[in-house]
Amino acid sequence: MAAMLELKNFEYYYGNIHAVKGIDLYVNEGEMVTLIGANGAGKTTTLQTISGLTSPRGVRGEIWFDGKRIDKKKGNKITAMGLLHVLEGRHVFPQLTVEENLKMGSYLRRDGEGIKKDFQKVYDLFPRLLERKTQAAGTLSGGEQQMLAIGRAMMAAPKMIVLDEPSLGLAPIVVKGIFEAIKEINKRGTTILFVEQNSKIALATADRGYVMQTGEIVLTDSCANLAANEEVKKAYLGG
Amino acid sequence: MFFTLLISGLVIGSIYGLIALGYSMIYKSSGLLSFMQGDIMTLGAFLGITFYSYAGLPFPVALLLVVLISIALGFAIEKGVIRPLLNKNTMAIYIVLATIAVSYIVQNGSMLVWGTITLNFPSIFGISTIKVGNISFQPEALMCIVVGFFCMFLLQIFMNKTRIGTSMRAASMDAMAAESCGIDVSLSTGLSWGLSAGLAAIAGMLIGPIYGVYTTLGATIGRKGFSSAVIGGYGNMYGAIVGGILLGLVETFGTSYVSSTYRNLIAYVLLLIFLLLKPTGIFNEKAIRS
Ligand SMILES: Nc1ncnc2c1ncn2[C@@H]1O[C@H](COP(=O)(O)OP(=O)(O)OP(=O)(O)O)[C@@H](O)[C@H]1O
Ligand SMILES: [Mg+2]
Repeated sequence: MAAMLELKNFEYYYGNIHAVKGIDLYVNEGEMVTLIGANGAGKTTTLQTISGLTSPRGVRGEIWFDGKRIDKKKGNKITAMGLLHVLEGRHVFPQLTVEENLKMGSYLRRDGEGIKKDFQKVYDLFPRLLERKTQAAGTLSGGEQQMLAIGRAMMAAPKMIVLDEPSLGLAPIVVKGIFEAIKEINKRGTTILFVEQNSKIALATADRGYVMQTGEIVLTDSCANLAANEEVKKAYLGG
Repeated sequence: MFFTLLISGLVIGSIYGLIALGYSMIYKSSGLLSFMQGDIMTLGAFLGITFYSYAGLPFPVALLLVVLISIALGFAIEKGVIRPLLNKNTMAIYIVLATIAVSYIVQNGSMLVWGTITLNFPSIFGISTIKVGNISFQPEALMCIVVGFFCMFLLQIFMNKTRIGTSMRAASMDAMAAESCGIDVSLSTGLSWGLSAGLAAIAGMLIGPIYGVYTTLGATIGRKGFSSAVIGGYGNMYGAIVGGILLGLVETFGTSYVSSTYRNLIAYVLLLIFLLLKPTGIFNEKAIRS
């Protein structure tokens, strides 16, 4: 079976800066995979290029999603294929209400009934959002904004969601809730790839993992094995 | 006297409002200032005369045609001039300079086509004045106010209640997030510039029958529309409307009760006062770097 997402010898250049130096990575349908690594490793670059949000000029190698090559496609076209991106730092539309933000998630859909059902699904998963339906998204707390960013991606009824540091700047208790929600979304059939600096929770949540260091993948294995690996323990799990 | 002034204040106020809305949309969607608003307004008035008077089309048809042409023009300018500059990472001030270049090209182009004398927009209604009690005014003035307000209302509905309008606002708040929602941000920005041009052209067609049409018609009004946008809160759509109407009224009443020599001074002194004392405008738009 072909993977749902596959990167073949993927490189990225910001002008002369060689941010990603030839990596191979795949995610099978239904899987939950994590990409961990220190600051500046190239995680965001990788994720945003998958979603068509970086300039295509800097891309080398191939990216395949759902049987099609996507490395030169525009972001909105990749979204239309069913690959949704939850951006690092949440990026909700601050002056739109919670409800309008979610509506923008379903921007490309025409199936009114299906959209209604997905609104319900999002509100069931994140009851906080229902309470704050008419509130401007910019006034939500960080955790609520993260829920909204995830909910907005769910509203597209995607095949796959990629998330960039969903734990960023959130209290541990909130992080736990967010990851439970992500797990639930995956359990219901959405394929997931996420980037995390909080390696402990990442390895406890995902099935498989990739460790990235200065633009290269240095290690890949099941999360259980990665968590037991001495080097990983020392470098990413604080001993 | 009071009602006559009120009407002329509202006439010019709604024109300022339409122009100011265009400035706000461009600022919100691209973070830029476009100097073309006034000259596209002049172009709209000239095209209006051409379709209505020379080609003999009914006024509503002429209006619609002019609006569509202007939307296409605004869209094309964004795609052909602004976007290529943005793609090269050109600094904002240079792009603003490019809009000045385009504005003079539009102004001088109009001069070549329509000449330098003031053209009279033939009257649109069978009657030349409406009399209510002892007040009399041009029916075109009433049309200007009614259509002007209606367009501003329509734009609010479009931007706030429709899927496309909401997506345009979303794209102007966060382009990357909008792209990742599947919104075509490039199309959306082009549409904002198109709508701004459309609004300016409507303003031209509404004021043409009252002021006459000449090449520098839009230059002054464009600057005042800009002042209105600042007074209301630069980038705020409600601010643009309120700022425009307010400036129109203040200017008209001020001129009448104080002196007509101050007419143009009022707008710019007010502009400066707002910039210095309340840069966020009436609607408290963000003006200070955090
Ligand atoms: N727009 C850009 N222009 C130039 N260099 C960039 C740009 N964005 C990222 N880089 C560089 O590319 C490298 C990888 O950055 P990236 O943001 O992908 O890392 P990251 O793994 O996501 O880091 P973090 O954990 O801090 O988010 C860094 O060295 C960074 O400085
Ligand atoms: Mg990052």
